[in-house]
Amino acid sequence: MVRKELIERSPLRILEKSIHGGVGVGNIGVIASRKGTGKTACLVHIATDQLLQEKHIIHVSFSGRTDHIINWYEDIFAEIARKRELEDAMDVHDEIIKRRVVMNFSQDGITAKQFLGSLRAMINDGNFAAKTIVIDGYDFEKGEPESLVAIKRFAEELGLTIWFSASTHREDPRTNEEGVPLLLCPYVDFIAVIITMQPTEHLIKLNLIKDHERYVHEDLHLMLDPKSLLIAREA
Amino acid sequence: MAIDISQMRNIGISAHIDSGKTTLTERVLFYCEKIHAIHEVRGKDGVGATMDSMELERERGITITSASTNVTWKDHPINIIDTPGHVDFTIEVERSLRVLDGAVLVPCAVGGVQSQSITVDRQLNRYKVPFLAFINKADRTGASPLKVRTQLREKLGHNAVMMQLPIGLEDEFEGLIDLITMKAIYFDGDNGERIRNEEIPANMVADAEKYREELIDAVSMFSDELAEAFLEGGEVTEDQIHDAVRAGVLGREFTPVFIGSAYKNKGVQTLLDSVIRYLPAPPEVTNTALDLENDEATVDLSSDNDAKTVALAFKLEDTNYGQLTYIRIYQGTVKKGAELFNTRSRRRFKVGRLIRMHANHMEDITEASAGDIVALFGIDCASGDTFAHPDLNYSMTSMFVPNPVISLALNPMDKKSSDNMGKALNRFTKEDPTFRTHVDPESQETIIQGMGELHLEVYVERMRREYSAEVETGMPQVAYRETITSRGDFNYIHKKQTGGSGQFGRVAGYIEPFEDGDYEFVDAIKGGVIPKDYIPSVNKGFRMAMEKGPMIGFPIVGVRAVINDGSTHPVDSSDMAFQAAAIGAFREAYRKSKPRVLEPIMKVVVEGPTEFQGSAFASINQRRGIILSSSEDGTFSVIEAEVPLSEMFGYSTVLRSLTQGKSEFSMEFLKYRRVPQSIAEDLQTKYQEERKAQAARA
Repeated sequence: MVRKELIERSPLRILEKSIHGGVGVGNIGVIASRKGTGKTACLVHIATDQLLQEKHIIHVSFSGRTDHIINWYEDIFAEIARKRELEDAMDVHDEIIKRRVVMNFSQDGITAKQFLGSLRAMINDGNFAAKTIVIDGYDFEKGEPESLVAIKRFAEELGLTIWFSASTHREDPRTNEEGVPLLLCPYVDFIAVIITMQPTEHLIKLNLIKDHERYVHEDLHLMLDPKSLLIAREA
Repeated sequence: MAIDISQMRNIGISAHIDSGKTTLTERVLFYCEKIHAIHEVRGKDGVGATMDSMELERERGITITSASTNVTWKDHPINIIDTPGHVDFTIEVERSLRVLDGAVLVPCAVGGVQSQSITVDRQLNRYKVPFLAFINKADRTGASPLKVRTQLREKLGHNAVMMQLPIGLEDEFEGLIDLITMKAIYFDGDNGERIRNEEIPANMVADAEKYREELIDAVSMFSDELAEAFLEGGEVTEDQIHDAVRAGVLGREFTPVFIGSAYKNKGVQTLLDSVIRYLPAPPEVTNTALDLENDEATVDLSSDNDAKTVALAFKLEDTNYGQLTYIRIYQGTVKKGAELFNTRSRRRFKVGRLIRMHANHMEDITEASAGDIVALFGIDCASGDTFAHPDLNYSMTSMFVPNPVISLALNPMDKKSSDNMGKALNRFTKEDPTFRTHVDPESQETIIQGMGELHLEVYVERMRREYSAEVETGMPQVAYRETITSRGDFNYIHKKQTGGSGQFGRVAGYIEPFEDGDYEFVDAIKGGVIPKDYIPSVNKGFRMAMEKGPMIGFPIVGVRAVINDGSTHPVDSSDMAFQAAAIGAFREAYRKSKPRVLEPIMKVVVEGPTEFQGSAFASINQRRGIILSSSEDGTFSVIEAEVPLSEMFGYSTVLRSLTQGKSEFSMEFLKYRRVPQSIAEDLQTKYQEERKAQAARA
């Protein structure tokens, strides 16, 4: 399969359709689930899809080690390339990694201002024309809505789309009446799209909770394939 | 005097440049009562630390070459191999690591785990060296051993656990709490030589108990006995903890963390106690060699003195008495007067003077056992050679030697310098396999090649200081390569008739990209259309054609050449004719096979305060670099990037001025990558112009 076809047939096109064209510039999307369900895999798949479309992405992590993240990209890319029998996979790989940067922070030691300062330095000084930023491992429990507002303003100013992952409590599956995990309720006005991941017996389903102005509770008919850790159409 | 090998330790001290490794080594030597005064690395008395044998190192305050020193601590002989800290000299670090049985990793209590510590950690992993961590400089402003412990865990993935707690920090650093004996330890006397044990200060008892529990909890997985005692709330003995820590260290699953300040004479003796307690003796480590008779199959070596000798020459040094060769004996003994076999040069030699090196003198000995590190005089060999019993054709595991990526032209200022330069180059190439030299046949200049700008600079300086060879250097040259990206066919006839016997040869086939190496030759000739005798000539012709590519004059790599047809002339075909035919054929095919220029890409790590991050990003971007990642913890940031070597010249000066000298960088060779088309065209134009100029001169 050539790259163009691969992009067109990506299950992420289904997601985009469901949320009316995507999260949108200047907006924030969140994938929420409890720990260990595969949020990082989803984010990396979304980011890789952007890379294949020749867009620049910044992957922000709070995990302490960047080599783990880079390995995630290697694995997800290898799975996509294998599954879709991508032509000239090595050349595509070498070419797309030039448009990816991993930035790692320790959330404890850093303010939203410093954080955005570093992103700005990367985009402006580093001349890195990012269009999408994925932020993995941000602790919404410790964080504050003001920080998210600052991040949203930053996205609006620089024309970015931002994806977050959010870890909900394993023991606390509670949501508000619209289905928004309690953890995200203080932030919900600043988030355009919320997707939750729901483990069932054999697979992990993706549900759409918030689609811009609308609260929905919609089955996306997408799942995270437990073997390849790719987002896939539900069989 | 025979040495009891089971009591011996061969250790290295591995660290980032400014973490105080040399001072620590100096203190170790002092406490072992081998030297009688402590000199500072950058001391006022101008004597310098004992281990830094070279003037240049003394001036820079860093250690470039390793030397092994024998000391004794509480009846345990310890060979200390001082390992260099700079990435540009990694071949030396790796060679020292090869001969170690254990190491002390020395992060600075202020700077913590920096990129170099990460490099060193990777090397310790590669050679599976067990190690302890000693967090030095606890007396410095900003010292935070617990933060460094956390970095060991997070950045290096170590199971790092405190063995001691500091009593006070920075200028109030007074002593240590030993979490096993649960005593406070103070270091009295002018040089901290008198150890005083006291009760733990009352305000630290709770902390000490907490960290002791953490320690026992962490090591209980290495000892069932300890785990049982701990879980049942019974008495845990000191020996039980020691045994468990040792098991964890030997299995490389546990990093005990010690604290101190070598400069303030605190914590060194307790570190030495731990070295002999936890790090392995030579017989506890399994070493292997390659059997050259048996397709390089690995064979286990035994530390038995009666077994046949196997030893590795890991370091050469010029002394007033001639060449000194440091060896590590892996199996059997080395005796004065015995015959050994150098398995690389295939030469036998007799062991002349056998020496044990102490910090300030050498001791003549008659015999040394397996596991020991000693030195030989007057042996002609290169670093990395294996010496074995004449019956054995073993080689110690071949060390990975990368190809040089940078070269520099040298022009001696006068006749004397020219002679001395020759001597110096001869020595350096023996010492360091990543350092190479040749004379360019066209310009007649001496070219040196190595792994980085600094690598070559240090050798040029050594030439001047140690050999009084004054040389002018040219601009550093990047080692580009050429390669092909598609198949190209050839069918070439070489024919010459100029009176007398002529020349004739025809070769046909194709070349194609080859990923597993530089070159492969495939003979697919059927029915002897090219006689067997001339096949090697064709191969040789291809190799000659690949030495200098037509695009920019650099070697061609990554080619498989296949010949499948040809013809001969009964009289005019010859070795020469087929070589010439192959060269012509290669050139013909090369044009068709979409040749490209490759350049060396370096992995670059820039570290410094976050406020300068933007400048660092920009500087990498301007150098055609790809930023892979950045990590920051509020004040400090680390950027990892891939940057073409050609763009890195002078980067240290640039970075210094961009960041007020507060950032530093390291780099090492990563891989070759295709040069962007526009730059390849520039290189080609330049090459063509040079050739024209040369032709005009000729």
